Amino acid sequence: MKKHYIFSAALASTAIFASAMMTANNASAAGPTCTDGKIVVGAVSTITGPADFSEVPKAAKATFDVVNAAGGINGCKIDYTIADDKADPQVAAQSARDLVENKGAVVMTGSASLLDCAVNAGYYDKQGILSVHGLGVDPVCFNAPSISPVNVGPYTLTTAVLQYGSSVLKAKNLCGIFWIVGGTDEAYPAAVARWEKVSGQKFGMIDLTLPFQGDYTPYVLKARDAGCDAVVMNTVEPQIVQMINTADAQNITGIKWLFLAPGYTEQVAKTLAATKQEIYVGTEWEPYTDSKSKSNESWNAAMSSAGMPLTAFTQGGYESATILVDVLKSIDGPVTRESVTAALHNLAPVNNPLVGTPYTFGMAASHASSQGTKMVKLESGAWKVETPDWFVLPPE
Amino acid sequence: MFTSTVAGLAAGGAYALIGVCLVFTYRLVSVVNFTGAAIGAVGTFAMVMLREQGIPLPICILVGLTFGTVTATLLGAVMMKWFAGAPAQTKAAVTVALLVGMIALGLRITGGQHPRPFPDLVPGAAFTLAGVVITRAALVTISLAFIFTIAATRFLNHTRMGLQLRALSERPVTAELIGIPVRRLSIGVWAMAGLATTIALMIIAPQRAPNFLTFSMLVVPAFAAALIGGFRSFWFTLAGGIALGLLEGMAAGLSSLAQFRSAVPFLIILAVLMWSQRRARWDEAR
Repeated sequence: MKKHYIFSAALASTAIFASAMMTANNASAAGPTCTDGKIVVGAVSTITGPADFSEVPKAAKATFDVVNAAGGINGCKIDYTIADDKADPQVAAQSARDLVENKGAVVMTGSASLLDCAVNAGYYDKQGILSVHGLGVDPVCFNAPSISPVNVGPYTLTTAVLQYGSSVLKAKNLCGIFWIVGGTDEAYPAAVARWEKVSGQKFGMIDLTLPFQGDYTPYVLKARDAGCDAVVMNTVEPQIVQMINTADAQNITGIKWLFLAPGYTEQVAKTLAATKQEIYVGTEWEPYTDSKSKSNESWNAAMSSAGMPLTAFTQGGYESATILVDVLKSIDGPVTRESVTAALHNLAPVNNPLVGTPYTFGMAASHASSQGTKMVKLESGAWKVETPDWFVLPPE
Repeated sequence: MFTSTVAGLAAGGAYALIGVCLVFTYRLVSVVNFTGAAIGAVGTFAMVMLREQGIPLPICILVGLTFGTVTATLLGAVMMKWFAGAPAQTKAAVTVALLVGMIALGLRITGGQHPRPFPDLVPGAAFTLAGVVITRAALVTISLAFIFTIAATRFLNHTRMGLQLRALSERPVTAELIGIPVRRLSIGVWAMAGLATTIALMIIAPQRAPNFLTFSMLVVPAFAAALIGGFRSFWFTLAGGIALGLLEGMAAGLSSLAQFRSAVPFLIILAVLMWSQRRARWDEAR
């Protein structure tokens, strides 16, 4: 009996000791842990080739560098690799496989590419890796379970800009002239259809044939002869300048020109300083030219101390990197592809001052969490913010 | 439809002018010059980049024209020194390689996609036709194409130097043997064509997408125009260039055709090639 008592006591104390040990273990494991003291993060971006989006991943890198310099995340340094896909599908596929399989990336962040989504979304899904995309360009970026971009994207932005045209600028006959690249021939008409549903208005003339180069006079006249009072266009900087110069040459009056985010640059403002046309651009983040904006403060400070330019691209890179850092900090236990993916799947909506609506990931089959824009207007060679508050689209 | 056709007039004038320059180079130094428009782009960007530094416009224009001419002269010198005796295909291939290099370098130096404020050298509207404002720039481009066509035809047929140049292009070795200064004349031809293209691009620049690539690729429709002239006739090239512009404008106005608009030059190049080669194929078949 006594023996038995002693045995039980020993057992009990061992159990208590063991559980105490376990608690102690748990206490030291509260927070993320890693092997080799590093967390491998990748990005596939178009850096050389027809476009240069390198500012996006470079801004993400600058953000990670600051975190690493302060000791990393619970002692783990972020090991960030940027791969250049050269806008070549084969290179994009190889880069993604190299990052995921050879380098052992646990998550993709700050990617900005012409074709990473279209080429790699399926592969990421199969590998169970997710991408906190810095700048989604092609339609797949906004239609894949494995990718959630931080930017609004050209399609949602088309709807938002149209909605601004009809509800604030009171345009009655909105038209669209689109330049169709890759698989965007369905995405833009879909964006227009969404606006028709939101506004209850009927869309005017739509043209999906604008060439990359050539004379734009016939297109300007087409918009005029169709009686458009606002025209939305998805072209990039040089083509925007060409369109407006052509409209000036044809003495067009009474058309409001609505452009998407690529038009929001200081060069466009300077080049078109003397125009008689009324020009609006929808931005994807808090307008970066607004130096007084409180929302820009932390981004501004981070980029300035890293010597990075203050552009919309660096806003995207900075936002995606800060979101990821918070996600990594929230993980308890080893940081692996599985644990990061689970954390993103369970992510509660993240408010960020740079965007109008909270960032989400979750288990949805498609992601377009950023649904707000701030409109800027060209006034004597500079951009003026027209909407101090976010102009947010109603949910679909 | 008439409106959109007339709207293509400005583009047509530019195609014609560059096309005539291409025929000029081909007839006199037998080089199919793919760098034709890129040479003009060099001069035009030199002008605008100086202008951005606040230098007075006339000086910028002069420097720009000099840049275009010097670039053409350098290219001409390269072609003369290393490829004078090469067959036409080789020379054409060399100019394609040079074009690729010039575009890569040009895009880098001029800041890629970022637009630059090209000054309106010929500002304002001339008149309105069928609801289309015909700009003074378009009118000047078309007039220049005419002037250059007349000048080139007269120069070749009615001057001693023209005669020497024709001899040079048809029998370069014989020409050199009878004492014609082959190298100097050839480089002069390059310089002239370079100067003319630079003028053309400077005038049309504000109405086109302001980047180095789109300027350089103006050579494609200009080639279609030159092919219509069979790389021989200046007048047919002129007419071909203007017709091409009008056709593109018309295609943009017809919604069913509009998406094939940029293919118009290629279709014309193809049609002309098939037509001009028909005899060769038939002869072979016989």
